[in-house]
Amino acid sequence: MKHKRRWIANTLAAVFCLVWAFPVYWMVNTAFKPRPEVMTPTPHFVPEHPTLDNFVKAVTQEQFLTNLRNSVIVVVLTVMVSIVLGIFAAAALSRFRFRARRLIMVVILAVQMLPGTALLIPMFVMFNQLDLLGTYAALVLAYVATVLPFSIWVMRGFFVTIPAEIEEAARMDGASTWRVLTSVLFPLVAPGVISTGIFAFIAAWNDYLFAYTFMQDQSRYTLPVWLASFTNPHTGTDFGGQMAASVLFSVPVVVFFLIIQRNLVAGMSAGAVKG
Amino acid sequence: MTTVITGAAGAPPAAPAPPAPRSRRTRRGLAPLFLLSPAGLVLALVTLAPIGFLVYTSFTDYNQRSLFTGAYHAVGLDNYTELLGSGAFWASLVRTVLFTAAMVAGSVLTGMGVSHLLTRLGRGWRYTVTVVLIVAWAMPNVASSLVWNWLFQPGYGVVNWGLDQLRVFGDTTSLDWAQDPARAYVVIWLLIVWQAVPFIALTLNAAETQVPREYLEAARMDGATELAVYRIITLNHLRPTLLLVTILSVIWDYNVFNQIWLISRGGPGDATSTLGVYTYKTAFVGFHIGQGAAISVVTTLLLLGLTAVYIRNLLKAGEDL
Repeated sequence: MKHKRRWIANTLAAVFCLVWAFPVYWMVNTAFKPRPEVMTPTPHFVPEHPTLDNFVKAVTQEQFLTNLRNSVIVVVLTVMVSIVLGIFAAAALSRFRFRARRLIMVVILAVQMLPGTALLIPMFVMFNQLDLLGTYAALVLAYVATVLPFSIWVMRGFFVTIPAEIEEAARMDGASTWRVLTSVLFPLVAPGVISTGIFAFIAAWNDYLFAYTFMQDQSRYTLPVWLASFTNPHTGTDFGGQMAASVLFSVPVVVFFLIIQRNLVAGMSAGAVKG
Repeated sequence: MTTVITGAAGAPPAAPAPPAPRSRRTRRGLAPLFLLSPAGLVLALVTLAPIGFLVYTSFTDYNQRSLFTGAYHAVGLDNYTELLGSGAFWASLVRTVLFTAAMVAGSVLTGMGVSHLLTRLGRGWRYTVTVVLIVAWAMPNVASSLVWNWLFQPGYGVVNWGLDQLRVFGDTTSLDWAQDPARAYVVIWLLIVWQAVPFIALTLNAAETQVPREYLEAARMDGATELAVYRIITLNHLRPTLLLVTILSVIWDYNVFNQIWLISRGGPGDATSTLGVYTYKTAFVGFHIGQGAAISVVTTLLLLGLTAVYIRNLLKAGEDL
């Protein structure tokens, strides 16, 4: 009886893995196939003549390097701003009790739940007025709006796990608030800060909507917009190239996810990485 | 741009050593203020100000010309009355509600199944399933939307080939999924469920492993079937987590944009224009920005109740720490 049940569970697990892994497998599989094997009515489940041509085509695309650079600049700035501002706010919200604390946390969480257009529309108009459309600043400000709140929330979760005794001991030894923060608390939350930075990276790296709407010129786009624009109605979609580009774009995110998997659930429930 | 950098570097609100010796209590009392104000100012600038401006814009006729001239007029509640009288808006709202319900039901039920399956597996299979879940979860939605377009591509797509092999739907090789409302929904639904299940399954599984073993064994000893054990004991323990996960799924699915935009652009016609797509088209394709702002405000208000419940739950959980 028990034996039979195990067998059923294993079969279900195998079927589930096949179905859920298939889209990812198909992306990778297509990326390594030469064009005749891609564009065929009878699919090849294993590349017969594996090739790197699609990857070469993807990275030698005119805009790839420019758009990669845009992505890196915007993402790095977003992560830096969010972590630096966020860590102090997170410390304040976890190590101190004061009025308005609850209100601030409500605002932080509520921002996460807004539809994208609720920030997109007013920011578009404001940036248009300030002549910021098409600049890195426009994107960084838009990303900080969503990334900073969840960075504060996630880092706060790491701060609250530090026992109060550690902090009290430092105070007894005469350490100032500033010193308690920088020499005691910050080193203790460092691993949490790294996870939060990765969340911030992923959120900014993946954004399509803001970059697509604000940047308005091929040379200003970030990688997600570059990726989506492989679907060119004039040249017809080059699926091999598109899948190779998708692999390149997804690899850093997948690697990061596997690194922070233990903290994923906590970050997600604060709206870190949206579906 | 430079302002952003200096903002970051100059931000550390170095609670400066107070010049005059103050009592310890006041200093500690001011510390959170110093620590919070840089983030607070930036957040006010990039979230509260735009939201205020969104509401303001929704009472104007801001349009394409205004973008160049900066000229626009206050129109009072016109955008809202127009909206409530517009068939397209109501159709989009109904679409959004039904489609959200379908996506949430699909992903939560599948997630519950996978979570339970994980408790029944040996170490090897559990590890394999977890890795598969994380990889699916990690896929950026722009990439997975493109993969989906390729899977369901008419002519060379592997799904059409697979359906053709089944020989039940006739010749399906050139089936164009995005050109038919029902089929477009199926494709998008499959993508959303595929992406949503990992988070739901792993979150529920974390809670399910906390269910006390003795309870389960006691119920089994009393002769309860596995289904009864799950329904009476496991589900009871899962309820709070299940509630959070469901609310979060509703919020996310209600706001879905990228996947729909990249697969069907809200088409054919307006068939898959949920509120997000409808807002986007109004504001950035037709450039009726005032009108788009009004839709966005209404969209947000409709979700407010649920958001409030979610935040209350999350705060309650957070406060206990």
